[in-house]
Amino acid sequence: MIRNRTRVLTTLLAAGLVVACGVAWYVTRTPASPFDGAPAPQTPPAAAIQRGEYIARLSDCVACHSTPDGAPFAGGLEMATPLGSIFSTNITPDVKTGIGSYSLADFDRALRHGVARDGHRLYPAMPYPSYARFSDDDVQALYAYFVHGVQPVEQANRPTGIASPLNQRWPLALWNAVFTDGRSYQPKADGDALWNRGAYIVQGPGHCGSCHTPRGLAMNEKALDESSPQYLAGALLDGWYAPSLRGDVNTGLGRWSEQDIVQFLRSGRNAHAVVFGSMADAFNNSTQFMSDEDLRAVARYLKSLPGNPARDGAAWQYTAAAGTPPHPDAQTFMTRCAACHGPDGRGQGQWIPPLAGSAASMAHENASSINVTLNGSARVVADGIPDAYRMPPFRNQLSDQEVADVLSYVRTTWGNRGGAVKPEEVKALRERTNPASSNVIILQMR
Amino acid sequence: MELHINGKSYEVHAEPDTPLLWVIRDELGLTGTKYGCGLAQCGACSVLIDGVVARACVLPVAGVVGRQITTIEGVEADPVGRRVVDAWVRHQVPQCGYCQSGQVMAATALLRETPHPSDEQISAAMVNLCRCGTYNAIRAAIHEVAGQAGKSSTALNEAAGAEDTGRAQA
Repeated sequence: MIRNRTRVLTTLLAAGLVVACGVAWYVTRTPASPFDGAPAPQTPPAAAIQRGEYIARLSDCVACHSTPDGAPFAGGLEMATPLGSIFSTNITPDVKTGIGSYSLADFDRALRHGVARDGHRLYPAMPYPSYARFSDDDVQALYAYFVHGVQPVEQANRPTGIASPLNQRWPLALWNAVFTDGRSYQPKADGDALWNRGAYIVQGPGHCGSCHTPRGLAMNEKALDESSPQYLAGALLDGWYAPSLRGDVNTGLGRWSEQDIVQFLRSGRNAHAVVFGSMADAFNNSTQFMSDEDLRAVARYLKSLPGNPARDGAAWQYTAAAGTPPHPDAQTFMTRCAACHGPDGRGQGQWIPPLAGSAASMAHENASSINVTLNGSARVVADGIPDAYRMPPFRNQLSDQEVADVLSYVRTTWGNRGGAVKPEEVKALRERTNPASSNVIILQMR
Repeated sequence: MELHINGKSYEVHAEPDTPLLWVIRDELGLTGTKYGCGLAQCGACSVLIDGVVARACVLPVAGVVGRQITTIEGVEADPVGRRVVDAWVRHQVPQCGYCQSGQVMAATALLRETPHPSDEQISAAMVNLCRCGTYNAIRAAIHEVAGQAGKSSTALNEAAGAEDTGRAQA
């Protein structure tokens, strides 16, 4: 009996040891790269560096790997996690503090697998689950650009604010095993070349899902491609609601033509909407630099994603506001909003966006409505020219109650169905977007 | 693009997204309309578009082609506008005057729509900012025009003249 128990115990221990060793090996192993053992590349031709620069634009590397006043790609941007702040890293080719000592294979492992040169796992604030889709060619071009096209900057990386033992990186290897597939993009036979190119940009370098796909409990994107209806179905992040990019007629792109999408990403505006919130950064740094062909590809792909009528509801139709002159709730609207957005809420062509029927006015999530009213929109710079029309911030002019009243009017008039806004919701977001508050939102992921 | 301003036609060459304010001030030299905040907040740039008050700093010029634009230079051609300007003079409303062309446009639009506005209606419509604080004088002038609504401006001027004479005699 005792001997039996000892044997069982020994077996269990041994099995446990094997599993532990297996896990230890797995979480510290260096994933393979197709570039392993490749000879150090010669100085690439200018065209390859240029192509790499274009891919860096598509991927919007600069948005996170720079601070507003810092050198491009020198890192240092703070990002919040539930455990504490982390900081983006220096990806200039500086040997001491940047990625100057990275081989192509090292670079590939960081980009597509989230593993740094010294073997530590990156936090998935780096969108490597999306960048995994990169083709080998694009990885090479991007590497050529970062090694030969970017100015080295000596700027040490800041340590994370996450305390020990939660700052251990190895569990991220298990996260990767569950939530990423690490496969580069495989063209689909049933899509044409344009569609496949669009799918590649949207899923890979564009990493649109980082903001627009809802995340699960482990901060994982619930889907990484069109195989799931959750993909790009809209998500709340950093105090903004990134709307659905699917065919949802009210809260998505259902009413947009492919040409509308191209115009929006190229010039930052169309008759349906103007970029604001985090999308203003994505436009300023990335989408406006995309080639016409790539923009058409993105539009083709996005328009192939079906909407979800069960969630989205019946198609919006404009209905004129009841009562003339407008009822008292509209007072703030008429004095603060109507000069630009029109007394009828229909905006002014492509210059000033309509509130009637807009995704932000139709979506149940009201964060974008509140945030843009309190804080205004960011400067939109198209072709180097700042915009003539910009939403001003009203946080110092309107009380929580007034913001709630005016947004409740906007979100329930002209056929809008977003629903009323409560003063408590305005108060909460006002505090979370006040830079002087101790509770301010710090950018999370994109 | 052809613009209809104060009953005249103008051919303008601005980019379609240029704010109307810059077209009328810089290209056409109608500088009575003022630039204040550039964000539709203060009302200094108020003009009338088809009789309705609008803020020229946020109107892309392409959107007002074919519509009747009235600026402070042309407001006295409108009978209500004429009475408003007269009342402004009688009440000596302006102090520094920078916001006043916008105030006159807003008051004209209000009185065209609502000839006898209540205090609430005046408060609701007259949201233009005035850093000199002429709000009380503005309200009094609007009430006077409203009280006289229907009388001709000549009759009003005569009445005002008589009042002034009386004051001088007293």
